[in-house]
Amino acid sequence: MTQPAAPETRSRDAAEPPQPSGAASAGGLRVAQGSPNRLPVVVAIVVLAVTAALALISLALYHDNEDRLLRLRVRDAASVLTAAVPRIQTQLASAAELADATGGEVSRFRAFVAPSVGTGREFASVSLWRVTSPSDPMTTVGAHPVLDTMPGAHGFIVHAAHTGRLSVIGLFTPPAFGLGYALAAPGSSRGFVVYAESPLPRSRHTPTQSNSAFADLDYAIYLGRTERPSQLLLTSVKRLPLSGRTARSTVAFGDNALTFVAAARRPLAGTLPRSLPWIIAVVGVILALLGAAVTRRLVQRRRDAERLAAQLDRIAEENRRLYAEQRGIAQTLQHALLPEKMPRIPGAEAGARYEASEHGVDIGGDWYDVIVLDDHRVLLVVGDVSGHGLQAAATMAALRFAIRAYAVERDTPVEILAKLSRLVNVSSTGHLATVLCVVVNVDARELTVTSAGHLPPLLVCDGEGMYLRGHVGLPVGVDRAPTYTSTTVTAPAGATLVAYTDGLVERRGEHLDRGLERLCRAALVNGAGLDEFLERVLADVRSEQAEDDTAIVAFRWLA
Amino acid sequence: VNRDVDIHVEAGGSGAATVTLRGELDVASVDSLEAAVAPVIAGGVERLVIDVSELRFADSSAIALWVRWAAAVEDLELRDPSPLLRTVVTSMGLSGRLKLAP
Repeated sequence: MTQPAAPETRSRDAAEPPQPSGAASAGGLRVAQGSPNRLPVVVAIVVLAVTAALALISLALYHDNEDRLLRLRVRDAASVLTAAVPRIQTQLASAAELADATGGEVSRFRAFVAPSVGTGREFASVSLWRVTSPSDPMTTVGAHPVLDTMPGAHGFIVHAAHTGRLSVIGLFTPPAFGLGYALAAPGSSRGFVVYAESPLPRSRHTPTQSNSAFADLDYAIYLGRTERPSQLLLTSVKRLPLSGRTARSTVAFGDNALTFVAAARRPLAGTLPRSLPWIIAVVGVILALLGAAVTRRLVQRRRDAERLAAQLDRIAEENRRLYAEQRGIAQTLQHALLPEKMPRIPGAEAGARYEASEHGVDIGGDWYDVIVLDDHRVLLVVGDVSGHGLQAAATMAALRFAIRAYAVERDTPVEILAKLSRLVNVSSTGHLATVLCVVVNVDARELTVTSAGHLPPLLVCDGEGMYLRGHVGLPVGVDRAPTYTSTTVTAPAGATLVAYTDGLVERRGEHLDRGLERLCRAALVNGAGLDEFLERVLADVRSEQAEDDTAIVAFRWLA
Repeated sequence: VNRDVDIHVEAGGSGAATVTLRGELDVASVDSLEAAVAPVIAGGVERLVIDVSELRFADSSAIALWVRWAAAVEDLELRDPSPLLRTVVTSMGLSGRLKLAP
């Protein structure tokens, strides 16, 4: 019966090599696409849009506020104008009552009104009129009334007498400009009307007084409810109409009205609110530029980082590939140097395994061989060249094929091992080799063990195991002419012999005897085929992180 | 676990040198040991003491190196080997070449 046991080819090639630290994992190959300028532009646009909105809001608030303030100022100023009405009314009413009480006594009237007439005083002229003869004044203090030269003058006097209120008329006959006020004595039946005139500057232009209610306003005052240029009383500007933001307020002025129109000379709420939109705009533009610059930098950095991560990923992948490739080459070479299949042995079977170290990419120096010597005898060989790499493998190959050659020449293991030291010399090559040769006489069940520094083979039968510890000679390559001694034992029927290299039993930090005990225990489990037996021994005995190569060869007599 | 080996070489007088090894010695670190001791060997030292009392592990390539040294000097001694090392040297049939002391 034959048991071809080709060296096991392990598919678990992908033992993980050390990962380069910092290699980016998932997603590392994703690199941001598109222009690096897109995001910064978006950021700048967003910031500019927000800036524009804020600037517009602030501008609107500024205008709104200025409008409101101007309206308030105009209303205040207009009310200041109306303050003149009671004073004039009081003066005219007093004069009218005096005339009424004295029956129109001119001298007393003149004496009464004289203090308020003249240059720099309230009125340019004050005159007393009688409704019954309204064509001429009874008496006049000061200048002759402009009213008297106007058509319809007496109508105005009559109208004033009937209304009983302060009547106001505009005097717009160049070169005389002014306002005329007429008032009848209240409740009087005698028909006296007092008429007074206040002049206006001929140009109707007045410089604004800095301490007045109009200090920061450009304004124009019209008689009546409209802004007719012909009805202009006073203005602070040289040219009308007023430019810019204006507000108007019309207030009652006797039986007439005054319309006050004003524009602010400078921002009423101060200069900051006016500048604020510009400040916001400038700051916003700066922020937009800064934001774009910073974003561009960040985007660039991120892309750099992603590119680096992708490179690291590629390098790691390349590393893994090279590692797998090198490991594959080493294993291929190793297997090429080992026997392809086990020979047929009548009455017995032989099997072998080779396991590379878990992490190694180097080829090892372990080997096994099964050589048929003649019809009854088989030579089992297990050897281990110290070190790793091609040199160790070359030495291994030399030794393996030398043993085959010497065996064909019918040399005994004692002779063979002695001759091997011609091929290897530790002092020149740095390598030595431990070799175990077991000649099995299948029919006689005899085992002749010869060891060149190798670990003892294990013989298992019927639940008992024993190591064949015979004479151990020097490893090959130590001495130029070493001598070896064989030990022969007889095996029980159905016995199994296991020869191996130290990678099977050696563990760091553990005494070698522990490993040998472990092997013995594992090998005692019986009842399996030789292949299954080898698998189980390897699985049970060999360290999962085995750092050394392992060769194991087994021989079993068929029951 | 520290997988490194710590090597200390001390060349004494009268042709003797001591190499003190700590840690673990294997195929990966044996070259550095060889390089460290090569000058001493080349200098014609006669007696080489390898203090292995704190060496936890040595593989066959380390033993091969020691065997080379043993061939190069007159007297080589492995001082205070651990039981493991003692067993390895003995089982390789090298106790005659690598003197184990004590």
